[in-house]
Amino acid sequence: MAQAFSLFTVRDSILHRFHPLTKLSSAGFLFIAGLILPGTWTAYVVLVVIALPLALLGKVTRAWLAAAWRVALPFIISVFLVQGFFWPRGTPLVFLGPLSLKREGLVFAIASTGHILAVVSSFLLLALTTRPDMLMTALTQAGLPGNIAYIIVATIQIVPRFQAKAAAILDAQRARGLETEGNIIQRLRAILPLVVPLVLGSLVDVEERAIAIEARAFNRTGPKTSLIEISEATWEPPVRWVIVGVMVGMVGLSIWLR
Amino acid sequence: MSSRFKQDFTTVTLVLIPVAIAINIAVGQTIYTLKVPLYVDSIGTVLVGVLAGPWAGALTGLLSNLIWGLSGLNVTYAPYAAVAAVIGLLAGLFGESGWLKQWWKVILAGIITGLVAAAISAPITAYVFGGVTGSGTDVIQAMFQSAGFAVLPASFGQGVSSDPLDKTVTYLIVWLIVRALPERFMARFPRAENLKG
Repeated sequence: MAQAFSLFTVRDSILHRFHPLTKLSSAGFLFIAGLILPGTWTAYVVLVVIALPLALLGKVTRAWLAAAWRVALPFIISVFLVQGFFWPRGTPLVFLGPLSLKREGLVFAIASTGHILAVVSSFLLLALTTRPDMLMTALTQAGLPGNIAYIIVATIQIVPRFQAKAAAILDAQRARGLETEGNIIQRLRAILPLVVPLVLGSLVDVEERAIAIEARAFNRTGPKTSLIEISEATWEPPVRWVIVGVMVGMVGLSIWLR
Repeated sequence: MSSRFKQDFTTVTLVLIPVAIAINIAVGQTIYTLKVPLYVDSIGTVLVGVLAGPWAGALTGLLSNLIWGLSGLNVTYAPYAAVAAVIGLLAGLFGESGWLKQWWKVILAGIITGLVAAAISAPITAYVFGGVTGSGTDVIQAMFQSAGFAVLPASFGQGVSSDPLDKTVTYLIVWLIVRALPERFMARFPRAENLKG
């Protein structure tokens, strides 16, 4: 349970060396293009033409496909079952007992699967190839308030500790005889003994952490220097602007055409 | 508002937010292993809302879903970041109105939050995920659609059938926790005065 709270995979690839913001804007482009472009098969084209080459460039294709498959599969199964068989008033194609597979529902399920894959694979591509702390440093240098960056970086650091703590509480309560695998009533009754110790225990050190960072000039105003230096090729900022421009254009056009 | 905004975002609030996000994630994962029809993944968000005000609550909710999504470990949560932000905002407003002092108002706050969450997440479920959540509640979606409802209203129906209960449980747990916290600890937070019964 207590694994590192990030999917980042170390590779020596061109994509890994890109500036984090270049990767963030590319992931945003994939997300937007996959979601809002019209057409049943458009999202699949976007995935094959843009996302797959990026994954190959980043040498993370196998991990990317495996993770996307794992996350998207329950949604894909659900969307085909629910929309294929329970589309209100459609043209029946195949009859299965009292149920019938509807044409309109299937088309909707195919388009939705494209959306789901675009959403899932854009986030995964960014997560697999970008170190979270590098992304935050890049965002801070681009003008994100330092407070927000602190919240995000601190979260990434403490989540694994909390997961370990939650697992320890689960083990301890089970050892004391708490039923966590019985019937639904027993499982519902297990919620409080698991949650309350975790939350109360976690809140205890908040005050000390606040004093500690205040003592290290956390509230000092003005520019601050960073330990991490991020390099980028000269072509990257203009390319980012083009990507963001096309993204804004796509959103604007889809609102205008609606 | 601006001065109240600054008062709410003290150093203690800023330190509390990552802890609250980690609570959302760790508790959400623990509840998931229990296989109960609840999520209980916004305890931290509601806690920050009532302790540090609506804006701090909204920020906690927003960042919870974005971080959980961008970590790559729960990517399907990221599109719901706006819903989580509204949950935190509402928690701040309920706290401000003194609704966390009486148990029946706590339950009411949970039900209202659940209805609002269902209303905002329905379009996201319908347009981004084709009306499904990839879990057992999709049976309810199928039931509504076979009764003749379109995808969007059926998604709202599906949300209404699970969110109010989930958020009521969340609020009751937060209420218990707030009552269990020592007074000296509570006094460090900007909105502590709203919570004394």
